Amino acid sequence: MTSRIKNFPGTSLSEQDFAEGKALFVHDTLKAEYSWDTGIAIGTYLASLKRGVILGAHCRHCRKTVVPPRTVCEWCFRPMSEYIPLQDTGTVNTFSLCYVTWDVHRIKEPEIPAVITLDGASQLGPASLFMGGIMHKLGEVDPEQVHIGMRVKAVWKPAKEREGAITDILYFKPLPKEEA
Amino acid sequence: MTLLERDDEAPSSWKGTLPITSRYTYGLAGERFFRALKDEGKILASYCPKCDHTYVPAVTFCERCFSELTEWHDAGLVGKLHTYTLMFVDFEGQPLEEPELVGFISFGDGGLIHKIDANPDELEIGLPMQAVLKPQNERNGSILDILYFQPVRK
Repeated sequence: MTSRIKNFPGTSLSEQDFAEGKALFVHDTLKAEYSWDTGIAIGTYLASLKRGVILGAHCRHCRKTVVPPRTVCEWCFRPMSEYIPLQDTGTVNTFSLCYVTWDVHRIKEPEIPAVITLDGASQLGPASLFMGGIMHKLGEVDPEQVHIGMRVKAVWKPAKEREGAITDILYFKPLPKEEA
Repeated sequence: MTLLERDDEAPSSWKGTLPITSRYTYGLAGERFFRALKDEGKILASYCPKCDHTYVPAVTFCERCFSELTEWHDAGLVGKLHTYTLMFVDFEGQPLEEPELVGFISFGDGGLIHKIDANPDELEIGLPMQAVLKPQNERNGSILDILYFQPVRK
């Protein structure tokens, strides 16, 4: 489509044109602050992270355990039955090796975001697309060695530095073979 | 603890900021307008002979008849005070130590909104107002190259 257009209308500008002062401009930084109500379930989840516990919620009717916890079951719409503390160990369900940061800077050592199914939460099954997993980062690992199905364990911040945030878990690292 | 009670230690809200920056270029007319302000210390106007309308700041086409405007001229640095207000709070809504004056200074059939440096008591609608510019070497092609407007001192 665009390949048929020989000359685009308008004025092309490159970064160099700005550096050389060929085009005038103003730079602005918007103030964009937000305050997000954590709600009952996520609030409890964050408070538990501060205590070093990953909390899930269990629906007795559907026999499913979700993480992060929710107050209402997504399958039967009944209130969830109870909160359940989960293990801080799990299995890599999917991952990516990222050689660019979120604001598009190249990096040599990749960041490794991964979805981790936690032990104690519901697993992906043939009759269910559900998976009790959270998204986090992997660390202390050779990027070449990361694979789906890899057993991992959470590395926590020291207790007094925790603030009730998902970053209270620094990353997940591979479990030694004998514990996996 | 039931599922409907909030954990006592739960943060009530999650606070954050979004990193948003922007670089705005002025466009064809704006580039010429601010270039003249920066280099020559002039406020430029463009005139539509068909509509007998003078645009300040200058624009490339007439908003009334859509003809291209080719008659550009210097509108001078003195305009008329069209309206003004005394502000007691800042952009964030916080009280200001000293109230600030802001006004609309008309040039031709348009005009500029800018700061006013004056005693509020000496202002009246229609008063001739003079633009006070930054020294040329400090100007960078922004509306803030005009420091403020003040009543024309005789």
